Amino acid sequence: MIWEVFRQEQRGDYHTHCGNVHAPDREMAKQFAAIQHARRKPTHSIWVVPKDEIGELDAEETSFGGVTDKSYRWAPTYKSDLDHASEVIDSEGQQAEAEKQRGDA
Amino acid sequence: MAGEIESVDELDADEQEALETLLFSLADDEFVFAERYTEWQVRSPTLESDLALSNNAQDELGHARLWYDVLEDFGHEEHELVYERDPENWRHSTLVEQEFLEGDWADAILRHYLYDVAEEIRLEALEGSSYAKIAGRVEKIQDEERYHREHAESWMERLADGEGLERLQEAVDRLFPHAMTLFEPCAPVPSAEEASDDEPRAAEDVEETVVEAGFRTESLEELREEWVDTVCPYLEGLGLETPAVERVHFDEYEYEVEADVVADERGRDGSHTDAWDDLHAEFTSTYRELGRSQATKIMEKPQ
Repeated sequence: MIWEVFRQEQRGDYHTHCGNVHAPDREMAKQFAAIQHARRKPTHSIWVVPKDEIGELDAEETSFGGVTDKSYRWAPTYKSDLDHASEVIDSEGQQAEAEKQRGDA
Repeated sequence: MAGEIESVDELDADEQEALETLLFSLADDEFVFAERYTEWQVRSPTLESDLALSNNAQDELGHARLWYDVLEDFGHEEHELVYERDPENWRHSTLVEQEFLEGDWADAILRHYLYDVAEEIRLEALEGSSYAKIAGRVEKIQDEERYHREHAESWMERLADGEGLERLQEAVDRLFPHAMTLFEPCAPVPSAEEASDDEPRAAEDVEETVVEAGFRTESLEELREEWVDTVCPYLEGLGLETPAVERVHFDEYEYEVEADVVADERGRDGSHTDAWDDLHAEFTSTYRELGRSQATKIMEKPQ
């Protein structure tokens, strides 16, 4: 039986697929995965998932989008460099400061 | 108090001998078992089990190196300890030197289980060692040993649940007497310089000093009792027979193993089975053939 293995480097990170192991059951799959996929990499947690339990949809069966031109959604004419946004940054700084003071009070 | 002894210079001659002897037994067990484990490489039943045993082998080699490194406090060097020592001066238990029966996975798993339970119990008794370097290295080893025991038990339970039971039973009959030698008192290794003017002390006396000086906080007898009380009910729970006798002692069940169950070759006293000569010749052959006089080191100090 094949178990797909997902590794999370640090608490809060996504579990990322990193390979699979052959194992008769979940317990042994976890033990094998720990050695095979986490021994030499920083790891906070590992998931093992039976391959059969994974639902798959591929590009042959459906169209995933992103094929038509949607560049009108972008706003390239706005200036986004930080020099022009200094007042936004200042304002954010002032708000953060104010929140902190409210918290202290 | 744990870890109060920083240097061997603080110890008298008997204590030095006892500490050195203890370290030989610890290091040699790990090294020789690792040598045997590597025989399974590319031969295990599946890729995953192959990697798991190779992982154990690598761990045990690392642990051996931690202990051999402490032996350097006595002026030893790694190449001399591993590649130039006479086979009769090795102090490992005969459990770890046995050949694996060809293709017998139950043998590998049972041996792995018997050894790693003993290892866990022994390490607990070293946590509070009076010798600072021992106490300081135990935790690192325990981290890895935890996986070993879980791995062994997973396999034991799965093998016992079917046709593997019979092969496990054969392995118990064959290996149990050798496992008992893990708890035999260890004879000191004669040093080349002292030659024969000083008779080395008896293994039992050395063991007494090991405990009195606090190098290990429990006696071998206590370790053996705990081991027997752990492995015997476990094996019997899986449907296996052991040489242990169950007794009721102050309302509690206790397992006892008669003294004559222990294998004739003790390992700890320098007597070994034929399997050891072959294994020793094999792992030292490259060193001899290439005329080496140093061990190759990847890192200056073990980590």
